[in-house]
Amino acid sequence: MPTTSSLQIGADDLAFPRLNALSYWLYLFSGILVGVSFFQGSTFAGGWTMYAPLNTPAYIPGEGLGATSVVLALIMFTAAVTMGSVNFLTTMYRMRAEGLRMRDIPIFSLSINLTVWMMLFAFAALLAALMILASDHVIGTTYFQFANDGSTLGTSAENPGASLLWAHLFWFFGHPEVYIVFFPALGAMAEIFQTFTGRRLVGRKWFIISMVLVAIQSFIVWMHHMFLTGINLPIKTIFMATTIGISLPFDLMVFSLIYTMAKGRVRFKTPFLFSLGALLLFILGGITGVFLGAIVLDYQFRGTYWVVAHFHYVMFGGATALIGGLYYWYPKMTGKMYDEFLGKVHFATFFVGFNLLYFPMFIAWETPRRVFEYPADLQIWHNLSTVGGFILGASMLVMFYNLFVSIWRGEDAGESPWKYASTAEWAVGSPPKLENFPGLPSYASGSLEFLDDEEVAERTGKPPGAGVAADGGTASDGGTARNIRAVTAPATPTAAAHETGGEGHASHASFWPFLVSLGGFIAFLGLSGVRTGSPVYVGMAAVGGLATVGSLVGMTRESFHAPEMAIAERWPFEGVEKMKLGMWTFLASDVVLFGGFIGSYAFVRVAYGWSDWHHDLIPAEHVTMPGLINTYLLLTSSFLVVLAMVAAKREWRGATTASLAGTFALGVGFLVNKGIEWNHLFHIHSEMFPNGWTLSTNIGSSTFYLTTGLHGAHVVVGLVICGYMTIRAWNGAYQGDDKPIEYFGLYWHFVDIVWLFLFPLFYIL
Amino acid sequence: MDWKGYTLIYVVLFVFATIQAVVEFVGLVDSAYWLAFGIIMVLSVVKAVGVAAYYQHLISEPRSVTYMILGGTLGAIALTGAAAYSIV
Repeated sequence: MPTTSSLQIGADDLAFPRLNALSYWLYLFSGILVGVSFFQGSTFAGGWTMYAPLNTPAYIPGEGLGATSVVLALIMFTAAVTMGSVNFLTTMYRMRAEGLRMRDIPIFSLSINLTVWMMLFAFAALLAALMILASDHVIGTTYFQFANDGSTLGTSAENPGASLLWAHLFWFFGHPEVYIVFFPALGAMAEIFQTFTGRRLVGRKWFIISMVLVAIQSFIVWMHHMFLTGINLPIKTIFMATTIGISLPFDLMVFSLIYTMAKGRVRFKTPFLFSLGALLLFILGGITGVFLGAIVLDYQFRGTYWVVAHFHYVMFGGATALIGGLYYWYPKMTGKMYDEFLGKVHFATFFVGFNLLYFPMFIAWETPRRVFEYPADLQIWHNLSTVGGFILGASMLVMFYNLFVSIWRGEDAGESPWKYASTAEWAVGSPPKLENFPGLPSYASGSLEFLDDEEVAERTGKPPGAGVAADGGTASDGGTARNIRAVTAPATPTAAAHETGGEGHASHASFWPFLVSLGGFIAFLGLSGVRTGSPVYVGMAAVGGLATVGSLVGMTRESFHAPEMAIAERWPFEGVEKMKLGMWTFLASDVVLFGGFIGSYAFVRVAYGWSDWHHDLIPAEHVTMPGLINTYLLLTSSFLVVLAMVAAKREWRGATTASLAGTFALGVGFLVNKGIEWNHLFHIHSEMFPNGWTLSTNIGSSTFYLTTGLHGAHVVVGLVICGYMTIRAWNGAYQGDDKPIEYFGLYWHFVDIVWLFLFPLFYIL
Repeated sequence: MDWKGYTLIYVVLFVFATIQAVVEFVGLVDSAYWLAFGIIMVLSVVKAVGVAAYYQHLISEPRSVTYMILGGTLGAIALTGAAAYSIV
């Protein structure tokens, strides 16, 4: 995904290469942690939806440590996804070839762009859900647990919103996820249709508008997964309307693809056959999905093979397009052509097998899901499905053979084996070189050109090799439509440049992302068992935590260099330098994370009874003053950060250092005040709360400690950064350059803003 | 913005936070809960906008940055609002 999109938009790399490495290693270690969970007694066995309360330790047989590991692994995975999302979006908005407007980028890259936007927000909601669940597992909060007896961690808390809370959080992520999975396939399908019909997508503008609409609408349809829960009829009706509404832009896209075929001259190569097949499957999957979007029909169809068939026609239909994409880009990836005859054999057997497997399920729709028994008269359809399954599986062997053997025996593909392919990846060799392009890509003349070193130097007014902007984005952009930064990479990077990470394609070799992820893996594995008190688990948590922090410090101190393109198209974020845009994008995701936490609090409070909450669950000792003091402390600390910026700009070293040190001190004061308050609440002895008010006392205490605790964790992270910057300022850094302080300030002020809502919600109302 | 502007914003934020606490200290939360709720939450929103606009300098960034943050905020509000409404 990043490789193809980078090539298509004319970027030689991602905006943050080291962050990309960190995403990858976290992703890998999250998978390893899931693997390890199988050896901890038993792994998570609550299904892929992880419904509450069966996802909590009290309802998991045995110690449930493997289940906890899976939850923590998913947090790791989600963190990797969020880093990737920030990286891809920053790349797409800061590193497009000159002249390449957003509306003009290839349709596949546009689909990736929208996918990543959905990922940024949807996975943040999942992260909130998983962090809360992990908290229930590890430190004993009671968000997702009903009252129960004899449990390891459960309490007698009354929490009527527990189960539905999980369903809301999960499906707020889960439905956009459907499109996150499908959109890349849709983009590949459209790209392949264009190439093999030799025609631009008919109604391309409307196709794009439709994709944007679906991406937005995907966030307002989640409750159609909850029609059989206790949510009220008005909200079901609204979500039925939004669900059926989302099929409309899809209709438009389908018609666009059909008309593109009608207007063009189709060449039935393997990639096209798979894309056409995907379209047909998707049409059938989409139509049968509309049935499920209607409340009354959903009552009948849910939990049956109708859902199984619909789901596979849509999602496996998407996978069909991606197989087409694999054939399409295989020559680019390997430099070799696959065998066309075998490709067509693969498609024929695949398509027959697919429909023989899944179509009978529509006919035998009365078969219940996940139940072994079904009416005897449906057996013939199940038999057909079984045969179809074997054919489908066998067809994939043809592909694996074809693609594997073609690496050695295939004909050379050259730059482009496809006659009408028009996107940038086909203008370079196969496989592309590490630096992607033989110069700086530009569409300014109307077609793709590569600017050499001298041309770039002439345009930027700087001599070749005059230096590049650092990864930290210490140089400011001009704020014009086509920002011209210091100087670009040379047109033909040399081997020496690669090795030194100099002015050419920066070296990405860094151990730190690996070590950070390894430390995180050990820490999470340890956390999965700390509730047992086992010294091994506690030790792993401590060692892993220290290793992670140490590696992060090492990563910060490592000299790393990722040049920005000297000339690029950057709408709509002109003037927002790379690092700042990355920070803002991360904060947008963090808004949803905190939104998930605050929304969870609001939801369980509404479920409990908004007004009764305060009287029943909150002790009289929980007063406003500690919150007010902390508000003053944070507001003052934010004020000092902006003063530090002013001082740095005016090159007042002492004032810069003092302001940052003041921010640090106030942040520490915030945590100390919170510590005193928490300690007091933990140990109160009142009639209502004779054993103190702890995390597990009730849902009120759980929401208070966890939400303000997450905020406190953000303060701790900010303090680590602030402490580091204070020392640097003392040593003379930032004078005349307030950008690093501004980037830190963006984060710190955000933490301040969150508190501005936590204070009234948890201390006054 | 110079230090004087930042100071003015700080004073306003400080005063608004104090007003929020005063709303509780005078007993409005007990006597007219939803009025107090409205006052306090509006003040929080104003403070948040103030910090974002002037301390995070959103006011001088391209509007697209604001829209991006608003997108996340709207998502969170949609989740909270619709979920809460679903069980009312």
